Amino acid sequence: MSVAVHLDGITKRFPGGVLANDQIDLEIEQGSVHVLLGENGAGKSTLMNILYGLYEPTEGTVRIDGETVDFETPQDAIERGVGMIHQHFTLVDPMTVLENIALGWEPIRYGGLAIDDGAVEADIRELSDRYGFGIADDIHTPVEELSVGVQQRIEVVKTLYRGADIFIFDEPTSVLTPQEADQLFEVFEELTAQGKTIIFITHKLDEALTVADRITVLRDGRKVGTVDGAGTTQDELARQMVGRDVLLNVDKEPVNRGDPQLSVSDLSVTNDQGIQKVSGVDLTVHRGEIFGVAGVDGNGQSELVEAITGLREHTAGDISIDGREIGDLSRRERMALGMSYIPGERQERALVLDFDLVQNAVLGSQRDDQFRDGRQIDWDAVREHTEEIIETYDVRPPNPQALARSLSGGNQQKFVVGREFLREPDLVVAAHPTRGVDVGSMEFIHDQLLEMRDRGVAILLVSASLDEVTSLSDRIGVLHDGAFADVVDPESVSKEQLGLLMAGEQIETERAVGPQ
Amino acid sequence: MSPLKERFEGLLGTIVRLSTGQRILVSIAAVIFAIGVGVLVILAAGSVASCGSPALYIMGVEFCYNPLEVWLVMFDGSFGGNFEISRTLRWTTLLLFTALSFAIPYKAGLFNIGAQGQFVLGSLGAAVGVIWVATVVPGGAVGRIVLVPTGLLAGAAVGGLYGFLPGYLKVRFEMNEVVTTLLFNFIATAVAFVLVDRYFVDESIQGTQTEAIPEAAELNPQFFANSADFSLPVFVFALGIVAAAYWLLTRTTVGYELRAMGSQQKAAIFGGVDERFTTLFSMTTAGAVAGIGGALYVLMVLGRWQTGPPPLGFDGIAVSILAGNNPLGLFPSGLLFGALQSGGQAIQFQLGIPSELVGVLRGLIILLVATPELFRMMGKRLNRRGVIDIETEGSN
Amino acid sequence: MGEVLRTAGKWIGGFVGLILALIVARAVAPPGSVSEQILDALLDTGYASAVLRVAVPVAFAAMGGIFAEKTGVINIGIEGFLILSALSSVVAVVRLSDAGVSPQMALWTGFFAGILVSVGAAFVFAVFVIRFESNQVIAGLAIWLISLGLAPFVSLILFESVNSPSVGTFGTWEIPLLSEIPVLGPVLFDASPMVYLMLVSAPLCWYVLRSTQLGRYIRACGDNPRALDTAGVSVSRTRYKGILISGVFCGIGGAGFTLGQLGRFVGAGETSIGGRGFLGIVAYLFGNYNPIASVGGALLFASFDALQFRLQQIAALDVPQQLFQVLPFIVVILVLMFVGRTRIPAALGEHYDEEE
Repeated sequence: MSVAVHLDGITKRFPGGVLANDQIDLEIEQGSVHVLLGENGAGKSTLMNILYGLYEPTEGTVRIDGETVDFETPQDAIERGVGMIHQHFTLVDPMTVLENIALGWEPIRYGGLAIDDGAVEADIRELSDRYGFGIADDIHTPVEELSVGVQQRIEVVKTLYRGADIFIFDEPTSVLTPQEADQLFEVFEELTAQGKTIIFITHKLDEALTVADRITVLRDGRKVGTVDGAGTTQDELARQMVGRDVLLNVDKEPVNRGDPQLSVSDLSVTNDQGIQKVSGVDLTVHRGEIFGVAGVDGNGQSELVEAITGLREHTAGDISIDGREIGDLSRRERMALGMSYIPGERQERALVLDFDLVQNAVLGSQRDDQFRDGRQIDWDAVREHTEEIIETYDVRPPNPQALARSLSGGNQQKFVVGREFLREPDLVVAAHPTRGVDVGSMEFIHDQLLEMRDRGVAILLVSASLDEVTSLSDRIGVLHDGAFADVVDPESVSKEQLGLLMAGEQIETERAVGPQ
Repeated sequence: MSPLKERFEGLLGTIVRLSTGQRILVSIAAVIFAIGVGVLVILAAGSVASCGSPALYIMGVEFCYNPLEVWLVMFDGSFGGNFEISRTLRWTTLLLFTALSFAIPYKAGLFNIGAQGQFVLGSLGAAVGVIWVATVVPGGAVGRIVLVPTGLLAGAAVGGLYGFLPGYLKVRFEMNEVVTTLLFNFIATAVAFVLVDRYFVDESIQGTQTEAIPEAAELNPQFFANSADFSLPVFVFALGIVAAAYWLLTRTTVGYELRAMGSQQKAAIFGGVDERFTTLFSMTTAGAVAGIGGALYVLMVLGRWQTGPPPLGFDGIAVSILAGNNPLGLFPSGLLFGALQSGGQAIQFQLGIPSELVGVLRGLIILLVATPELFRMMGKRLNRRGVIDIETEGSN
Repeated sequence: MGEVLRTAGKWIGGFVGLILALIVARAVAPPGSVSEQILDALLDTGYASAVLRVAVPVAFAAMGGIFAEKTGVINIGIEGFLILSALSSVVAVVRLSDAGVSPQMALWTGFFAGILVSVGAAFVFAVFVIRFESNQVIAGLAIWLISLGLAPFVSLILFESVNSPSVGTFGTWEIPLLSEIPVLGPVLFDASPMVYLMLVSAPLCWYVLRSTQLGRYIRACGDNPRALDTAGVSVSRTRYKGILISGVFCGIGGAGFTLGQLGRFVGAGETSIGGRGFLGIVAYLFGNYNPIASVGGALLFASFDALQFRLQQIAALDVPQQLFQVLPFIVVILVLMFVGRTRIPAALGEHYDEEE
């Protein structure tokens, strides 16, 4: 087989000195699936953005079919047959499938006075049939009305329509159910069977092993090595990715379950567009336990959490803390009842990025007596409190005047966790508490969560990481399409079973999961 | 503390100072730029205007106005003497109020373009309130003690209500405050006109205006020339209001909540800040402050309400933006615009150049201050040529 | 397409229903009463003509605003472009007339001069918001304030008064035969060329945005500029085009209003444009960024604006003229209260960085 893509000594240094890629060599065979594996920040996306013409490499050359190319824009890459499907779809929501697929490549008529939509439609039907995408009925539907899985297929068709031979998929499964992911992998087979080349960026080991002909592991911007998909194991890949043996097994005390702290019954919530995202959820979190919520992103997790924490109104049902109905209380009143919330969108929500740490330390407690002096904020007290957070939670740099924006993701999260835990809550709602943080901070945050649990705090943990949910939780509710597919005991359920539940299928398990 | 740590913190401190410094640099550059463009405008106007004796010849082209002379007259007209200085400070005083009316909502993430309307209706409210109350209180010192606060309160109440309305329309109907406050200016002018024309007109003289307010309510000129309609205590009062606004924004709980909302709405809501409250509070406060400015315009300057109010509400936007919307910057910025206003009257009177020129400068300054990137680019270019050496922010 | 026709049908149906209701009301109104006089004024073809005429600047401002905002750029400067175009069209006409050019020729050249100046100003605005990344709201506001100072300044320099001399108007174009049709004829086929231009422009804008390449780029640019960028189409070029088109329409609005209706420039107060550009903004919010519906909104506001000339003549109605002038402003606020949320382009107001 011939080599479709050659990368020779690619180095990418960003303004400000960050070295994202360091002397990377790569060969990708035509008609194969080549996986780029690595942790967040390993440099996978940067490397592929270079191949796609979004970034220019600081050093190194790119060859396509043996010919050296110098892409200045994605347009150049597309013309050489390189297409990229981003994690965040580049679809224009209110425009139709046809308009999106043809965008930038419209066949024009009468000198630009009209577009030959008939020809576009015929092409889309032909592609849809040849590869079995099944989107022919949706050609005139605005993409915002279609499911995420279908939208992704439209991205693939769009790339095909532009004549791509080389497909780059950037973390495509993070928004899919395991079943939708399997369908995507079937598309991979269809594409390679027709001679197309696929580069698949992921950090999920099992996916890499499922689809890869070859696997290249990146770490800290460097290439660790390339192996055959058939000749390697999860353990080996994991070691290469992380650079050391990883143990996600957390030591934890047996659960000592107290009285119910948070009770939710028959809760329904709609999203901003008025679409029902949570439908009749019941759940109870007791003191001293961690209740985990697993599920594919977008199955109602954020709406559930927002309704509980007072950021979103619910349409039906009851929410109570310690037996007291709180459904009508404002966000502030709920916090006053001892609720702490570690939001998933740390940079958007948990911190005012342009405020310094002192001003961020009082966010949420600005009206508490502790920090008040009449109408004024007692800034001296806040400053002391800030230093306490920084010291106890090892926030670096330990400078209360540093802007929140200037901290690394892990330190931002440690600061947020510290602030929320030092409130001395009776209930903690933690959404994706370790998303995007380094391994060290992750372990620290896990320890802190378990310590809170052992002190008798009720914890609701929502995470897209199955490992995190299964290793920390005492019970797991699997959310599918806005409702719990089941509530299970993490000790007695396999990953495969969880995957099926996440896809909305019922499984037979021993249902010894404690009081409801 | 280790030396390394100390150095690190010192460095961070420099960065913070630099960015405030950079902001001041941008403001100064914007003013210089605007003055430069003003020169071009004056030359262009001078080349098409017809005049008996041209002031300037450049390469055979006659120019009626000499830009240098214009700026000198302008400077002289704003700081050249006792009268000029007090006229400048009179405008500065009033501008501080309308500027705050923009700055406070801006800190909460809102654009209040409606200071003009709030100012106009506030001034009418003050005039009418004072005239009404004057019928039941005696003159002299007692009258003054009652009437001046009455005027200020009436101005604040009417202006505050007129600021509250767009705030309410925003929280209740999600109507964009930029659009509503813009439209409210037009409505205010007409409503004030009709109210005075129909109900409060002084029939003894021509034109649409109210009766004069009683002498007891007038804030008399002190220490400065009589004819300048400027009172030093009022100016001190204005500075006090600015200081109060600074205290409100930086020290109080409400101020903290406003700034959080303006800086990052989602984080503020996470922190339990009530968006409806910050919107209504900041818009109402803004309206009230502009209304007080309107009241002072009646009590200190005009002595009555009449049509054709000066565009102090719009100038206030420029003052605030030039000051980086920071109350501490309002005085220098307000002084500059007070001087422009004052000098504008001088160039019109002495040279026959329309004072509308000041309006053009005002717009230019706003445009340039809203464009820090322009100066950053210029700085970079000069830097590359080795002309100057300034730190530019590293990554983007 | 079907849905478009249904929506259009609903509006036309509602409009016809309203007219019928007015006719019925007129039939049962007590003779000689005030309400009879009002209804007479409303059911007059002269009133309908006035509505069309008065809507012109607002409608063009709305179409101009749509093209800028659809690319993701907030354009508060519309009002300023109208003012600049209004003044420069008059200046050109005065100069040309002084030079002996025939009146019609002078008017049309002045009309295009107004458009040209507006496009030039729009280009400056575009450079600031695209190249120099100005805050779009503040830059637009600045454009308005600059125009508000510059126009009367220029007028004072050239005409020694903030108001220009009268220059006359285009008058009306009577279309043979069609203008003979009862009722509709005098309204639709004996109108100012600007009215015809407005009625043609609305569906044309709709078509361009919906079915041409440029239109699709413009829509994609305002909603997901990244999608456009990754399709190899320059976001900033598309935004430049959108803003320049915006300048063209604002130019037509300002010059068309001045030379088609008023016949002069008034520089006092908020100038003769007097907020019509801002009404245009409300018109497209009302029309949810659909050019046809937005022109409908402009007509709705104009129907209140045009009332003042009519109702003033009814002596028994003692409504102050000044209040009438702002009636459209009050109406638009009431309308916006009930029109509900408009769907604004998702990337509106955000700068887009094309390089890394």
